[in-house]
Amino acid sequence: MQDKAHKNSSGWNSVLSESRDAYLKYVGDWEEKIGSFIEFDIDRISGAAESDVSHQEGALAGVPFGVKDNFAVESFNITCGSKILEGVASPYTASSVKNLQDAGAVVVGKTNLDAFGMGSSTDNSDVKVTNNPWDTDRVAGGSSGGSAAAVAAGLVPFALGSDTGGSIRQPASFCGVYGLKPSYGVVSRYGLTAYASSLDVVGVMSRTVGMTRTVFNTMKGQDIKDNTSVKHPGSSNSGMVKKIGVLKITDASLSEDVERSFLLSRERLEKLGYETVDIELPSLAYVVPVYYTIATAEASANLARFNGLRYGYRSKNGNDPGELMQSSRDEGFGDEVKLRILLGTYVLRSGFQDQFYHKAQKIRTAIRNEFDNLFKSVDLVMMPVFPTPAFKHGSADLDQFQQKVADRYTCTANLTGLPAIAVPSSVEKGLPVGVQFTAPAFEEDRLFNIAEVLETEFPSPSPSGTKDWS
Amino acid sequence: MAQSPYKGEYQTFIGLEIHIHLLTESKVFCGCRNVFGSEPNTNVCPVCMGYPGVLPSLNEEAVRKAYQVAMALNCHLNEKAVFERKNYFYPDMPKNYQISQFEYPFGINGWFDLELAGGSTRRIRIHDVHLEEDAGKMIHEGGISKLDYNRAGTPLLEIVTEPDLVTGEEAEAFVQQFRQMVRYLGVTDGNMEEGSLRCDANVSINESGKGLGTKTECKNLNSSRFIKKALEYEIKRQTKVLNSGEKIIQETRLWDEGKSRTSPMRTKESSNDYRYFPEPDLPPYRPEKKYLSEIESSLAELPRERRIRIMEEYGLNEQQALFITAEKSMADFFEKTVYLKNKADTESDSNKIDTAFAGTVASWLSGNVQKILNDSGLSIENSPLSSDRLLSVLNLIENGKISAGIGKKVIGVVFEKDTEPEDIVKDLGMDQMSDTGELQGVVSAIVDANPKIADAIRDGADKQIGFLMGQVMKATSGKANPGMTRNLIREKIFKQGYISEDKKNA
Repeated sequence: MQDKAHKNSSGWNSVLSESRDAYLKYVGDWEEKIGSFIEFDIDRISGAAESDVSHQEGALAGVPFGVKDNFAVESFNITCGSKILEGVASPYTASSVKNLQDAGAVVVGKTNLDAFGMGSSTDNSDVKVTNNPWDTDRVAGGSSGGSAAAVAAGLVPFALGSDTGGSIRQPASFCGVYGLKPSYGVVSRYGLTAYASSLDVVGVMSRTVGMTRTVFNTMKGQDIKDNTSVKHPGSSNSGMVKKIGVLKITDASLSEDVERSFLLSRERLEKLGYETVDIELPSLAYVVPVYYTIATAEASANLARFNGLRYGYRSKNGNDPGELMQSSRDEGFGDEVKLRILLGTYVLRSGFQDQFYHKAQKIRTAIRNEFDNLFKSVDLVMMPVFPTPAFKHGSADLDQFQQKVADRYTCTANLTGLPAIAVPSSVEKGLPVGVQFTAPAFEEDRLFNIAEVLETEFPSPSPSGTKDWS
Repeated sequence: MAQSPYKGEYQTFIGLEIHIHLLTESKVFCGCRNVFGSEPNTNVCPVCMGYPGVLPSLNEEAVRKAYQVAMALNCHLNEKAVFERKNYFYPDMPKNYQISQFEYPFGINGWFDLELAGGSTRRIRIHDVHLEEDAGKMIHEGGISKLDYNRAGTPLLEIVTEPDLVTGEEAEAFVQQFRQMVRYLGVTDGNMEEGSLRCDANVSINESGKGLGTKTECKNLNSSRFIKKALEYEIKRQTKVLNSGEKIIQETRLWDEGKSRTSPMRTKESSNDYRYFPEPDLPPYRPEKKYLSEIESSLAELPRERRIRIMEEYGLNEQQALFITAEKSMADFFEKTVYLKNKADTESDSNKIDTAFAGTVASWLSGNVQKILNDSGLSIENSPLSSDRLLSVLNLIENGKISAGIGKKVIGVVFEKDTEPEDIVKDLGMDQMSDTGELQGVVSAIVDANPKIADAIRDGADKQIGFLMGQVMKATSGKANPGMTRNLIREKIFKQGYISEDKKNA
């Protein structure tokens, strides 16, 4: 598999040197259409990398990559797609990014996102609009929409994202790329701006499974700076997959295109000799309210630090430090972020915790138990990623509330901490649709293996006008 | 309509919340130095400044010290200790939540035996012992608010008592005895002026037998004396309120030392809802039994146990033992001095303690040494006097090399010059003049210079010898060996002879 990654990157490690001019023009042209990067500068870090011999020998030597702008990368800003962090320079580098840099990879820019990772469209960014490379009238998904769009358009061979409720897998599905959400704790969160700490994971998006696997293996590892990080124990069965549980679709909101694509994926697996069985997930009805209770509760505390006093946007209004904090937050946060902070503050009020927060935690445990039971009889669970393909900007197709309800297939993996991957399955009416596989904890190898078989047997197309640099 | 005033004695309930600043190398969740008095904002990093993306990383040393205190307070140690976020906005708190413990602190349900006047003790229940991070400091200067985050993220241990104390005096004694204990454990310096030991006091009064009343909380108690004064004021104030038929308002009150009174700071209605929830960045802490028993077995002997043992082993009286054990460093110094003497005296490892010598050491420490410590503002452990040096001085006295008076002077010079007592005695010529030849010359000259006195002695007025001795001492700056001087004077007058006043006149 390492060989495959090398093959994938062989062209990529020339874009910062020999193919530099062609590459920059290509990126410039595409960025005008999709706006995936908040900052893009191939020289910001690559100079340092060239002088360091170890970088030229690493598994990802000279390979450029994009990083979602809620990760800390020294010499770049960290806006989190928000106004309140505009112009904030990052004083340090995230552990996951550091691991990739140590293997020779080069950060070329920071990608757009829904502010603080809150959204499914990247339209909640206070910085700029990101369009889908397949259809620029449509969103790239979110919250890691910039990373997904940049990868799909061939601007970088991979990009980092964060996934709290589907923020890697949903935009991956919308843009027709692979999107991995690893097991909770396997990749250090140090340097990833927290949205909901118990749900947040660092993951990767790429156009190939080989690259996805290489990046994951390079990033993972226990980190003393993240007390919730764990050492990856490796797969219990060498990543072998025989039997796949397929979710029985009873969801009326699932679009015809997604349903067709989902059934096609099942057919293909059966053709390839996998055993498939229908499964049901009764707890799926609760995952969205549980997810939004826990995520917003944690977010209300995580975002409290942004007050305009030490860094970031500071209001001109306010007569004392208390008022200054209030007006800086009022003017610096967008509506969606405020909504979630208020919701989280509400569910944590004293006297209401049993009704909301504690109850949500209990259901969360029940959901995890449901999956543990399922995995006694199947090796993987197959589900849709999102009920629709990429929707149009604005609320015409799906309003903010419908977008939240649509998170049910993805946020399950965050509540359970299990690894999941979005795999491109087919293109329906010009838009890519992905399918999602979930594995038991630490069985990322099963996800790579199934994705690789599908990639080989049913290669997925790229948006028109894109170039394969590999 | 006010009810008829209560005639009986009110019952008083006082509970304390004590914060101690733990002495650790680094802060509780990051690697920044944990020191007092640095230039503002020099001991800070992205973690304690709450930059985007940072995570807390738990300091094991702080955890260990927290367990030491919980054990010394006889707490039940939770199998699973959980950190929680305490949410409130304040400019000096970078994350706008404090990482603390709430439902599952390190220790719960402990007790501390408070020693009362007259030698009896009363058991004060400990509600819990929990670890948390301190905030920074905000200073208002003119129209500007300045923030210093050096203290942000330094480890604080909070000890909460049940409302078992009944007077301001008891509360003061509790804080003093508690402070002594934690200093013995070596977990804090307990300096109230620098804020390394801070105390808030809750107090309520009620008609006897009716349980807790409505409490008020007193803050700004920067010394144990203020605790007593504030509580006594508050008990009087509450009594007046109840006697006038009014109700106590549950509120936080600040002690104003200048005006010697408490005044309201905020009422309960305006208090925060802290919205506690488990800190998702720190997994629950599950201490292994082996780890806990290792801490327990390495726990320092506590003041009371040590005082009793020292009285028994060294034959000190209670007064002496109280002095010796007030500070751990003094008790260590005392025991080491006696041990060194014992080791030098006995070739075999005899455990038999020379109690007379121990008594001597105790009186030197409580007398002369303590006086110099008071004058110099030093404490015994960072003074130039070591157990070895004190023992040298005492040996010099015992061997007749110097007098006790000179011994005091030598110790004074040790503090001044930080050198060895033997060298001081030699360099400054302080050793007793035991060299007969040298002393003989002095005696001879003194006798010759005082023929009238010598004649009187010769004629039987033996008491007059004291005058000559005084003269010799004066001439030798007290270094003359008294017995030898006396003999030499007699020898000179009766045997060697001198020019007597009689003869002169004759």
